[in-house]
Amino acid sequence: MDLALQLLFTGIGIGSVYALVALGFVLIFRATNVVNFAQGEFSMVAAFLMVVFAVKLDLPYGLSFLVALAGMALLGALFNLAVYYPLRHRTYLPVIISTIGASILMANGMLALHGPEPEVLSGWFETPGFLLGPVYFDSQYLLIIAVTALLVALQYWFFEHTLLGKKLQATSQDKEMASLLGIPVAAMIMITFVYSAVIGGIAGILVAPVLFVSIHMGATIALKAFAATIIGGFGDVTGAIIGGLALGVIETFGAAYVSVPYKDGFAFLVLIAFLIFRPQGIFGERVAEKA
Amino acid sequence: MLVITRRGIAAGLAATVAAPAIIRSAWAQAGTIKIGMVVPVTGAAAESGSFAQTGARIAVEQVNKAGGVLGKQLELVFEDDQTTNPGAVLAFSKLASQPDIVAFLGSIRSTQNHAMAPDMLKAGKPVGFGGTDPNLTKLGNPWLFRFRPNDSYSGKVIAQYGAKELGKKKWAIVHSTDAFGTAGAKALAEALPENGATLALDQGYANQSQDFTPVVLAVRQSGADVLGTYFTFETDLGIFARQLRQLGVTIPWVGSPSIVNISALKLAGPALHGTYGVADYAEDSSEASKSFGKAYRDVRKVAPDNQSSWTYDAVIVFALAMNKAGTTEPNKVRDAILAIRGHKGAEGEYNFDKNGDGLHGYNIVKNDKGEIKFDKRIDFTPQLG
Repeated sequence: MDLALQLLFTGIGIGSVYALVALGFVLIFRATNVVNFAQGEFSMVAAFLMVVFAVKLDLPYGLSFLVALAGMALLGALFNLAVYYPLRHRTYLPVIISTIGASILMANGMLALHGPEPEVLSGWFETPGFLLGPVYFDSQYLLIIAVTALLVALQYWFFEHTLLGKKLQATSQDKEMASLLGIPVAAMIMITFVYSAVIGGIAGILVAPVLFVSIHMGATIALKAFAATIIGGFGDVTGAIIGGLALGVIETFGAAYVSVPYKDGFAFLVLIAFLIFRPQGIFGERVAEKA
Repeated sequence: MLVITRRGIAAGLAATVAAPAIIRSAWAQAGTIKIGMVVPVTGAAAESGSFAQTGARIAVEQVNKAGGVLGKQLELVFEDDQTTNPGAVLAFSKLASQPDIVAFLGSIRSTQNHAMAPDMLKAGKPVGFGGTDPNLTKLGNPWLFRFRPNDSYSGKVIAQYGAKELGKKKWAIVHSTDAFGTAGAKALAEALPENGATLALDQGYANQSQDFTPVVLAVRQSGADVLGTYFTFETDLGIFARQLRQLGVTIPWVGSPSIVNISALKLAGPALHGTYGVADYAEDSSEASKSFGKAYRDVRKVAPDNQSSWTYDAVIVFALAMNKAGTTEPNKVRDAILAIRGHKGAEGEYNFDKNGDGLHGYNIVKNDKGEIKFDKRIDFTPQLG
């Protein structure tokens, strides 16, 4: 029982990381109908920015966090202008390939700028964690779980209860119609990219103290987050969260009770099962053109 | 894959333009004995390549001060391997085409040595190298001589140290499921019975894992009183070490060389304090290691590591062998290298076996609050022939 509780906590913690990155996938998918394969690299770049500000330049942690996120907002805007905007009238395929190219460019650009050595980023809290009965609670994982919950609530409120959120949804559903109604489509998409880069950045900075800062950190998390998005239902915020948490818990228990080396296998078995039996995901609607 | 870059072409052009100058300078120094060295000058390992060059240069300086080789001065000829296998093959063939080079230094990477091995066989002259794949000296290639202990020894050393020195008999082994981790764990598991120890847990993991909770819980539940590990990536090692401590596992831990590398120490911090690791170069392990450490610090102002110690040892051993043979004729130099017994190098005591393996043991070092301290040297008696 003690064992299961510990595994459950870790599973939810790591699942929250997947969920946070999945949120970025969902946002861009809702606005542009394409999957942004550079979402994981947003996390990696933000973590490196945080290392530069908080460790190398020794700025206060909170200030570094804000400066790093401002950098991410700028990167999101640039990303939109360079990667999405020139291809906006094409089908989804060139755009997807363009995001894959951008992801390779960002990873290798960081490799050229910084070199291959991984870096350490200290956590938000002084105490690394505490024991409560038989279960060890890692303080950074607790923070990740809390921030994920907060961002989900914020995102729900934003999309369902604000005019801007509704404009973004309208843009996502039908760009031509939205533009006929006077919604500035290009601006809406710009906002989406900026927000996604920032949210990906928050995920990267939050997981950096747990997983360390390395060139590959983005790719490994993003793959799982992508699976989580499909399980949850592409384009659905609640789905991405449930998908991410489920994936984290399933792989942790699978590793503990079945096989550690095949841990990643469980995640992708679940993914394959969903693609076969419920391709629209848990919460997705059956919309043929989005498949 | 052959990558043609603008910089590569520029470098090639520069080399072509510079070639006559190099030939002229070679002509002027016809009285020297040349050793060709394949070394990364560009690419991911460029920094460690410069360490390797420094080690070899220090050796050349010492040999020349002591009278040189066969009355002539020793000289190094460097060729860039670009940290790639095709680069290494090209670099070696450039060196091999120069008839006045009498011996070569290959790579510290096993994969590059495998790539160059056919050309090394064709060249028919002694090659010293640093890669640790045990198979490299079993290729039936008589010209390969290894100046680091091969991987089969690390498992034996970890087992013996844990069982005999620490007195721990119930082992948990945690290892990467890649070629390096699997082979290392196998060697360690095989060495347990002869040390009177048993295996309580053999736990593999896939590289680049984000979480090690299930692994740590398995170690805790196995009831093992000592932990042996083969980690490939420092990030994995760092996450595992932290979670191990968080979940309250404090049993002694003896790890493969990555546990004492600088990145791992930085990432894991206090989580690795008190652990033991195997290391082929340890500055305090012998007088020879200390004196190399001092010579290196005088030149580079930092502590040396195995990148430079093996090239230092290789140049010294080659010079020794040529002086003993009284000639640079490859077959006679080969016999002289194989006859070397008890030569005290920076990496340890050299006794070449018939395969060309010069070293047969490792140092055990301890992480003492973040500082790596030499603890003990464990050597095995090789089958010399």
